[in-house]
Amino acid sequence: MKPYEWMVKFTPQTEWIEQRGLLVWLAEVSGGLGGGLYLVSLYLDSLWGMFVSWLIVVALKGGFHLAYLGKPLRFWRMVLKPQNSWMSRGLIIVFLFIGFGALQLITSYLFPGTAWELLFKGLAGITAFGTAMYPGFAMNYVNGIPFWNSALLPILFIVYGILDGFGIVIAIALFGGDVNLAAAETGSRIFLVTSALIVAIYLWSATYVGPAGKYSVMELIQGRIAPVLWIGVVLCGIGTPIGIAVSSYFAKEGSASLLIIGIICDMIGGLSLKYCFLKGGIYGPLIPSNPY
Amino acid sequence: MTRWGMVINLQKCVGCYSCVISCKQEHYLPTDVFWNRILISETGKYPTVTKQMYPVLCAHCKEPACVKACPTGATSQRKDGIVLVDYSQCVGCRYCLIACPYQQRTYYTNGNKEYFPGQGLTELEIIGKELYPLQPGTVVKCNFCLERVDEGIQRGLKPGVDREATPACVIACPAKARYFGDLEEPQSEVCQLIKEKKAFQLHPEFGTDPSVFYIA
Repeated sequence: MKPYEWMVKFTPQTEWIEQRGLLVWLAEVSGGLGGGLYLVSLYLDSLWGMFVSWLIVVALKGGFHLAYLGKPLRFWRMVLKPQNSWMSRGLIIVFLFIGFGALQLITSYLFPGTAWELLFKGLAGITAFGTAMYPGFAMNYVNGIPFWNSALLPILFIVYGILDGFGIVIAIALFGGDVNLAAAETGSRIFLVTSALIVAIYLWSATYVGPAGKYSVMELIQGRIAPVLWIGVVLCGIGTPIGIAVSSYFAKEGSASLLIIGIICDMIGGLSLKYCFLKGGIYGPLIPSNPY
Repeated sequence: MTRWGMVINLQKCVGCYSCVISCKQEHYLPTDVFWNRILISETGKYPTVTKQMYPVLCAHCKEPACVKACPTGATSQRKDGIVLVDYSQCVGCRYCLIACPYQQRTYYTNGNKEYFPGQGLTELEIIGKELYPLQPGTVVKCNFCLERVDEGIQRGLKPGVDREATPACVIACPAKARYFGDLEEPQSEVCQLIKEKKAFQLHPEFGTDPSVFYIA
């Protein structure tokens, strides 16, 4: 975009997706993946899954966010305004998840079957849900970007987080982890179809939220971001896993290599979707079309 | 209660960029940082083309999206409506920058960038760093020249009427297209202009109730 076109024409947001902004994208993907994986692991009772999800949130999400901040040593200040800011609420939720998750892992390992384990599983589960979902609320708050002003955004983020979580859990099962592979595959199929439906509804509904929203959708489906949407989200994230899911459903024995390909495609889909949504955030022109 | 605001008469604006430069001078703003901008566009088709010039700056909204977005409280609103950033509290998360629907905030990255690359900082740049120590890694924006406004009030002057108590961009405008004053005082020049000339806010649909009005 030329400097003289800035806010005169449709102007994409760049702070959260270009240059160092790519760290925000990676942090959001890690948060969704970590939170979703924890919920899936709770459902399938996989201690390995819970441990991996906790590590993802602590190391990847936390690390990427810290690396992005202009003044990382002041990060603790970000918990000071939960009454106003979704960023503040999100950080508190993540901190709680890290704390409750650690306590849950300790109690599950040392005192399995106790009331403490159940309590911490419940608390960590709630905060994992919040960890995967809050970026949707934080983006939804931004009035200037109509493409993000949808109540579906937090739902889409949690559904994609859980879908990616199922992918990791299947990988854990393939490497001999404590997971029921059949249940994980079934869950993955359900969330795959659900996420495809939500993406389609989201894009369709975004065309009705004004010119900037429609412009964002057009950019996504036939503009500069289209290759990422069609190849990353549709082909890799939805088409290929659905094909593999259908073939493994009808085949008597599932192929491990096919499943691994499916998991990789699923991850690419998750990364691409968040990239598309951040890159597709576009502000409308400031100058009214014809004030005279 | 006071609420400082500005009225910009687009029919008078000649697009000379005096406001942009005077703002940079007043605050010794580093290169790449603009607190005042002029947006220029053309609409229509020959022979009925209209050139539009919109001087824009932080609107110091009554319901500022940036204040609600800021997770640290670094961005706050004074009782007189001026929205300001406390650089010592800002973490540089840029949520305020994303949340501002008018995009009037800038992330200040490089504190060592010179106006004349390779020739070192000029005398003015060195003075500026002492007077307005912006912190790299934080978000900066227009502050309605609150130093001038506050100092003027202390000296018994009236912002918008007395030059010494009025924002630099208003004083610098050679076409007198800018007016500054109290939006809560019905007899103030800005209130009269808003009423008589039917001044409008940019994109009121954002719901932030900006304190900068335009006369078209």
